Amino acid sequence: MARQAHAYHMVDPSPWPLTGAVAALLMTSGLAVWFHFNSTVLMTMGLALLLLTMYQWWRDIIREGTFQGHHTPPVQKGLRYGMILFITSEVFFFLGFFWAFYHSSLAPTPELGGCWPPTGIIPLDPFEVPLLNTAVLLASGVTVTWAHHSIMERERKQTIQALTLTILLGFYFTALQAMEYYEAPFTIADGVYGSTFFVATGFHGLHVIIGSTFLAVCLLRQIQYHFTSEHHFGFEAAAWYWHFVDVVWLFLYVSIYWWGS
Amino acid sequence: MAAAAAAGRVLQPLLRTFSAQSRQLSAAAHGEPHQAARTWKILSFVVALPAVGVCMLNTYLKMQHHSHEQPEFIAYPHLQIRSKPFPWGDGNHSLFHNSHVNPLPTGYEGGEH
Repeated sequence: MARQAHAYHMVDPSPWPLTGAVAALLMTSGLAVWFHFNSTVLMTMGLALLLLTMYQWWRDIIREGTFQGHHTPPVQKGLRYGMILFITSEVFFFLGFFWAFYHSSLAPTPELGGCWPPTGIIPLDPFEVPLLNTAVLLASGVTVTWAHHSIMERERKQTIQALTLTILLGFYFTALQAMEYYEAPFTIADGVYGSTFFVATGFHGLHVIIGSTFLAVCLLRQIQYHFTSEHHFGFEAAAWYWHFVDVVWLFLYVSIYWWGS
Repeated sequence: MAAAAAAGRVLQPLLRTFSAQSRQLSAAAHGEPHQAARTWKILSFVVALPAVGVCMLNTYLKMQHHSHEQPEFIAYPHLQIRSKPFPWGDGNHSLFHNSHVNPLPTGYEGGEH
């Protein structure tokens, strides 16, 4: 049987990058078709293909790393670089929306009444639900750190408890935000205030849902004994992502909710 | 193939002992990293979750002071923008539309009350 004389992972040929690309094409063109021709078929097909791609690609990575031993230290180092670079790209993504917010709010135009918030806009009180949301996410940062140390100290039950608590806090945040979206006296169509508010907080909320899902997958894997005290990079990546989501919220809270009111 | 697997099974516990030893050695050097999980557990239940509870109480109390008056509707040109209809429903309602607090460009649905 052939043996590799290096510590790296030469990945087997895989169809998932192609199906992912096709999914991206179907979702983008599907969005345009929805807007112009009132049909959601293409977009729905794209979404289904995306979900299948993600499930199967990440399942394969878990097989390669956890069950087949391909994630040697150098390979893990590469995965760490990858996750850090990805999160960095997301930071720039949000930077754009903060730029848009500050562009409009630092020099409000006469059409808005020359003030921020614009005339007629009733902003949310930053010291009600938004403050609670801040406490919820900060608390989840503490519980995810508890989970991490529990993994490293081989405390199986505590890891499961701490991870579950983190995920529940994530769900609580999402539920609170959904309620806020429904109760808000302004909508996305209320000028540049509505646009900047809902696009920035909306994308953040999407990232909370993604992060919660990532953590939930980690919980399932922890229950199934995938992680060891020395090797649990999937969990670390999820924790990094979760901290990133928390930090973005802090910036949103201070800029849009607090200063912007 | 079977020999390699057997060798692996013998080596594994040995490797674990070495790493446990190095962990105990570093415990002496770094001062009890074994305590970290307990520390964060305490922080979670004594600081983080109570803070969430306090904020929940604060929110609840503040909500009670709210008037449930519908805000007055003035048809400002820079609000309730409809350059293009929404791609759902009748195209005139936002995704999280709440008829009690979100007026349409023509005013609150069902008239003011």
